[in-house]
Amino acid sequence: MPCDDTRPPNDGLPDGLPDRLLDRGEWSEWYALTPLERLEESSKLWHAYLELGGSLDPEPDTQSPFFDPEEWRAIALDGRPGLRVVRRSGV
Amino acid sequence: MGGQACVLYGGAEFSRDTDLVVVADADNLARLAKAAADLDAHPIAVPPFERQFLEEGLAVHFRCRAPGVAGMRLDVMSRVRGLPDFETLWRRRTTIDTGEQQIEVLSLPDLVTAKKTQRDKDWPMITRLIEAHWTQTPRPAADAAVDFWLRELRTPALLVRLASESPDATRRVAVQRPLLIAALTGDEAGVARLLREEEDREREADRRYWAPLRSRLEGLRREHADRRRGPS
Repeated sequence: MPCDDTRPPNDGLPDGLPDRLLDRGEWSEWYALTPLERLEESSKLWHAYLELGGSLDPEPDTQSPFFDPEEWRAIALDGRPGLRVVRRSGV
Repeated sequence: MGGQACVLYGGAEFSRDTDLVVVADADNLARLAKAAADLDAHPIAVPPFERQFLEEGLAVHFRCRAPGVAGMRLDVMSRVRGLPDFETLWRRRTTIDTGEQQIEVLSLPDLVTAKKTQRDKDWPMITRLIEAHWTQTPRPAADAAVDFWLRELRTPALLVRLASESPDATRRVAVQRPLLIAALTGDEAGVARLLREEEDREREADRRYWAPLRSRLEGLRREHADRRRGPS
């Protein structure tokens, strides 16, 4: 089915929403975007994340059926380019 | 079908990988191999990129090396627990036109089904996906949207609200989802408790579904490790 790419009705939120939506916080703003706007915003996050040295390696998702501890250890040993831990707590 | 679809529907802001569901026939896998070559994408460890493993229900993982996408991970599947065959998924898909290209995405109900896994992180995502749809849907909502919310909403306050607005539809869908009876009585705490029980049942079903596939993967990893070590 084609995606409804129009702005939500009344550019706002229907009645009866939980507090976290009614406060028009982060998620309600995100919900109010069109799919295209979300794609664009997510692309900006993607570029910012990479410029800050973020890694595209998967997180250690131990609950995933695909999680392979050996693969994760190999990634951890390689380190993450651009990111350097300058302070760490005792663990 | 995964995190990127969640971004487009409003359930997530960012995803570091891309999940694809594909037809696992020879022609299509040849096309996929060509697309992977364009991205300089290479399979990661196990399983190998072979039709047999996709048909078994395993995912094949690639990592891209081409400039602009270097490091990005592609996960490819042809079967997903709880979802019908590819032809049905394709018929029900959502198409998003960016002006430059069309992006084909799993339908929202199918994406919600795919997210009912054993992983903690998928359940808040389902909640947000449906809240986003609730927020974006013009009022009065079509019957199909109301039915979808009654079947899938995971926000107690919204379920109680919806039950009071659409009591007939709620009673009808309650045959398949008994927690709606608590919503009809306005028992928000009861709805929350029953939602947790519903989630626990789905997580357990997902664990049972994956148990033999996990064993299969572990066997493939052992074979892969043995081959890398070479003859002893």
